[in-house]
Amino acid sequence: MGLDFGQGAEQTDGNIITTTIDKVVNWGRKNSLWPMPFGTACCAIEMMATLASKFDLSRFGSEAIRFSPRQSDLLIVSGRISIKMMPVLKRIYDQMPDPKWVISMGACASCGGVFDTYTLIQGVDQFIPVDVYIPGCPPRPEDLIDAVIQVQQKITSGASPKGVEAVYE
Amino acid sequence: MSEENQVEEQPKPLILQKLETNYADALLAQDAARGTVVVVIHKEQAYAVLEYLKTDPELAYTFLVDVTAVDNSQMESELMQFDYARFMVVYQLYSYQGQGRLRVKVPVHENDLNIPSVTGLWKGANWLERETYDMFGIHFDGHPDLRRILMPDDFEGYPLRKDYPLRGRGERESFNFEKQNV
Ligand code: SF4
Repeated sequence: MGLDFGQGAEQTDGNIITTTIDKVVNWGRKNSLWPMPFGTACCAIEMMATLASKFDLSRFGSEAIRFSPRQSDLLIVSGRISIKMMPVLKRIYDQMPDPKWVISMGACASCGGVFDTYTLIQGVDQFIPVDVYIPGCPPRPEDLIDAVIQVQQKITSGASPKGVEAVYE
Repeated sequence: MSEENQVEEQPKPLILQKLETNYADALLAQDAARGTVVVVIHKEQAYAVLEYLKTDPELAYTFLVDVTAVDNSQMESELMQFDYARFMVVYQLYSYQGQGRLRVKVPVHENDLNIPSVTGLWKGANWLERETYDMFGIHFDGHPDLRRILMPDDFEGYPLRKDYPLRGRGERESFNFEKQNV
């Protein structure tokens, strides 16, 4: 497998590659996303399946699950978030170092799902910026893998995470 | 079960015999639901009866399974039967001495939501009573730490009451990050 630094990178004869520093950095980021799992409900079970041997998210360079937000750059919100839980989630998001990406997994995290009740946040994107949404109740592990790949594509394309855009807007 | 009952006259359960002799005036109603004896007790004597149920050596309902409540405000039949008491506090008990399960219900009026706490009898009642307080607004007198347990501390209202709207009264949109202890 050759090194793929994306468009604009050229391999000349032999062992010299010309590219830009951003592309190299992004290439590194994309292939070593460290997810912070925020599993609060049934969707988390599918997330665990995705991480375990059968679906094996590490094939895509994201096997280093960190339970400390300070060591991770991809927040996976999988499950229902109640109004009592939201400040905790917000704090965890704030603790993650930049650049950071957020996946909102499942109907509940994205829009409240079937729980249109007094206690449930109707979409975490009201409070934290979300980069990729996954529909489904629960989404299949393949959907989560697809979302991670979408994040990787965003990184390769050089696009800023939603959180950074929100800061500069 | 009910068919069996009709075929052969079963003796009255020991618990009912005992309550009828000792606390006849406290016993508002009795019933059987799927093999569980259900008794409705007057609030004034609720603590005394529960203490008796736990400490009597023959009954020995030493295990408090659950404490919860029911809002009967839309159950006309229940309301009429128990003097228009809006709430029914429900204790589920279990006896390892062979008496099995027992459900004790205590009617509570809306204008007097106080009821004695049973944390002195069963330590496990602590969180169960806090949940009942959180969801229904029943005040358990003598509870060591009667705070909300599920909803945020600054939440207003009691969500399991029947007049509480399903989507809330705007808490979802207006809740305050700063006010909550994270
Ligand atoms: S979207 Fe479905 S599977 Fe996921 S947390 Fe909500 S109810 Fe559970």
